[in-house]
Amino acid sequence: MPPVLEMRNISKSFGGTAALSGFSLVLKPGRIHALVGENGAGKSTLIKTMTGIHQPDSGEILVDGQPVTLRGTAAAQRAGIAAIYQEPMVFPDLSVAENIFISHQNRPQLIDWSALNDEAAAMVARLGVTLDPTRSAAELTLAEQQTVEIARAISLNVRVLIMDEPSASLSEHEVQRLFGIARSLRDQGVAVLYISHRLEEIFALADTVTVMRDGQHISTRPVDQVTQASMIAEMVGRDMAGRFARAPSKTTGEVLLKVSDLSRNGVFRNVSFTVNKGEILCFSGLVGARRTDVALALFGVAPADGGRVELAGKTVTITSPAQAKALGIAYVSEDRRKLGLALTEGITPNLTLPMLPKYSGPFGWLDRVRELADAQAFRDRLNIKAANLTVPVGTLSGGNQQKVMLAKWLNTRPRLLIVDEPTRGIDVGAKAEVHQILRSLAAEGVAIIIISSDLPEVLSLADRIIVMREGRIVGEFKGEEATDEAVMHLAVAAEVA
Amino acid sequence: MTWMRSWEGFLFLVLVLIYALNAWTSPVFLTVGNQINMVQLSVEKIIVALVMTFVIINGEIDLSVASVMGLAACAFGWMVQAGVPGGWAIVIALGIGLACGAFNALFIVGFGIPSLVVTLATMIAFRGFARVLVEDRGISGFPDWFNALGQRGLVGPVPLAIIMFAVLAVLAFLILQRTAFGRKVYFIGANRAVAEYSGLDVRSVKIRIFIASGTVSALAGIMFAARVGAIRGDIAQGFELDIITMVLLGGVSIFGGAGTMSGTILAILIVLALRNGMALQNITGHIQTGVLGVLLILSVMVPIIRETGSRLLARVR
Repeated sequence: MPPVLEMRNISKSFGGTAALSGFSLVLKPGRIHALVGENGAGKSTLIKTMTGIHQPDSGEILVDGQPVTLRGTAAAQRAGIAAIYQEPMVFPDLSVAENIFISHQNRPQLIDWSALNDEAAAMVARLGVTLDPTRSAAELTLAEQQTVEIARAISLNVRVLIMDEPSASLSEHEVQRLFGIARSLRDQGVAVLYISHRLEEIFALADTVTVMRDGQHISTRPVDQVTQASMIAEMVGRDMAGRFARAPSKTTGEVLLKVSDLSRNGVFRNVSFTVNKGEILCFSGLVGARRTDVALALFGVAPADGGRVELAGKTVTITSPAQAKALGIAYVSEDRRKLGLALTEGITPNLTLPMLPKYSGPFGWLDRVRELADAQAFRDRLNIKAANLTVPVGTLSGGNQQKVMLAKWLNTRPRLLIVDEPTRGIDVGAKAEVHQILRSLAAEGVAIIIISSDLPEVLSLADRIIVMREGRIVGEFKGEEATDEAVMHLAVAAEVA
Repeated sequence: MTWMRSWEGFLFLVLVLIYALNAWTSPVFLTVGNQINMVQLSVEKIIVALVMTFVIINGEIDLSVASVMGLAACAFGWMVQAGVPGGWAIVIALGIGLACGAFNALFIVGFGIPSLVVTLATMIAFRGFARVLVEDRGISGFPDWFNALGQRGLVGPVPLAIIMFAVLAVLAFLILQRTAFGRKVYFIGANRAVAEYSGLDVRSVKIRIFIASGTVSALAGIMFAARVGAIRGDIAQGFELDIITMVLLGGVSIFGGAGTMSGTILAILIVLALRNGMALQNITGHIQTGVLGVLLILSVMVPIIRETGSRLLARVR
């Protein structure tokens, strides 16, 4: 069977960071092809390249053996390539039928609604699902919305359907139905590219599996020739020489934070752990493991609705960031641009924002000299590179923005510092500096919680590692005893082989 | 010379240019009498523009200001006619303005309804109350001391209104640019989530701003009544657009987070000088309004043109 879509030696970089380097993939009709890789392996970039959202820097895309250039999703659709995602993209106020036929622009001006609805119902029925075509999409469950998306793709004569973690938010029953749909598409000759973190799904569904890592193709094998252990080894298998050196633990063993059975309905449940003064505790897990939600509960942004938090022996109920701040808890968000810094404002005012009362005299008059002195001190201490301290934060590099965020929260003199993805999207040099800063803070006795999807980072920084999956803690390691494979096994819910 | 590249620097140059042009075309323009007259005729609007600067930098809008002006003025007139002493009438009218601002804040901050919608509704509602109070009548016959405050010089030829504007302008500048409150106003407007994640009291800042907006608007309405010596139901109607125009011309971003008080003050002076200069040349009010409209569009376009220009330059390099 000749391939329907072929990616040849695709490379794509963003600002010097290679997301894909020389990646190749062949998709054949009537097959379900699984793609696995860690967070940041380049899966999203690959999908965006296949669907015309990104243009490759180099390499070829072939459809039916012919080289094509896919400019935009409409072009990809014309070539028969469509994608569905974990969060379905439907128009909530339109009906099922309208959603399915939304991309059909060459329809007559006057719509024959009964024909449209019949056609939509038939389309959905082909997937083995019953759905009233006149219902509005907002009333549907996530799984039903996905079905609508798939039906939309089929209506456009899709020949390559990319399913990007479609099962992540579905119940077990819905997952089975989704599998049924994928299989019926396969039987109709569609090439399905199935991306999932749940390795057991791959054995249940796929014919072939490709492992990618760091933007590169690692292996492609028939599914009966791989095991979960072999896939995980390939997913994480790094050159161990590239691993950062570990520093010995600085903790005094004095418990600062004790969390017992912390829960938030429908988000996470029964989360219990402790952090000592001077300890670095890392939360590992996949995207969607709800690690950030636990942090937001501790920081009062999205308070927990059950469980107990004790800080330095006292039970506390944290309901707002202002309160968390007053208790000596700081949270450095993973989203610098949306939640961390006001990009249009200068470095100094961003840095002093949580501590304005410290700089305020009578009538709230700001001591700008003192603000500047503190900002300069942090610039020197954290090696923030900026022309001057009045430039808008948005003009700095990612690494320097990250340092400003750290400075902003260090300025609050926290007892507990929670850092969410401390080095995402910053270059190697800045990364090493950030690690050094975190280590020296721990040495000063600050309790540090790091949420990171970067396993080498976790392994080199953590005194202890907690692994979360789907809103629960599923395991804990001592830093020096953890291995890539062991952490990954727990994170993806594989039985340890 | 970096000040010239800022928006305020540009506005200052424009202002100097307009002053020079006016002085050249009319011998009257620079006389003390004309300058006082120029500010006095619009003093109500420009006082509200000061507080509107806070509102817009904070990422909100208050369309109800002119209606609050009208309501406060009509309430004042109604009370005076009903025999309430003038001093008490002023205090109560200010209280009404404060209540109007608190009412807006309740819906905007308390229930999370966009300020555009809330103040559009209260713009209509407050105007309605004003008209209910005075119906089709005009009310005059205010105490002499009251009219004098609005019409005669207090310090030499300078009337109270101008002194009040000067004091409020300095105060507004200091609060916005030099205090912790002003800093919060900026950050909440620039990125509300960042402000919340930094533990700022976002809601209390917004509540205070809307209450200030209502109170200052009421003050402006009372000053209007004093200057004219009479009120009617349609007093100050449509002023909100002139006020917002001045603030935006001053370089305040309609999306919040950017702009300065000095920008607003310069824009106020530009609008006043431009109108006054055209009036001295016997150009009609309608054409004056048209010119201001063009000016506003240009002022919004200049930053965009500058940005696209530098982006194109960067691409060429």
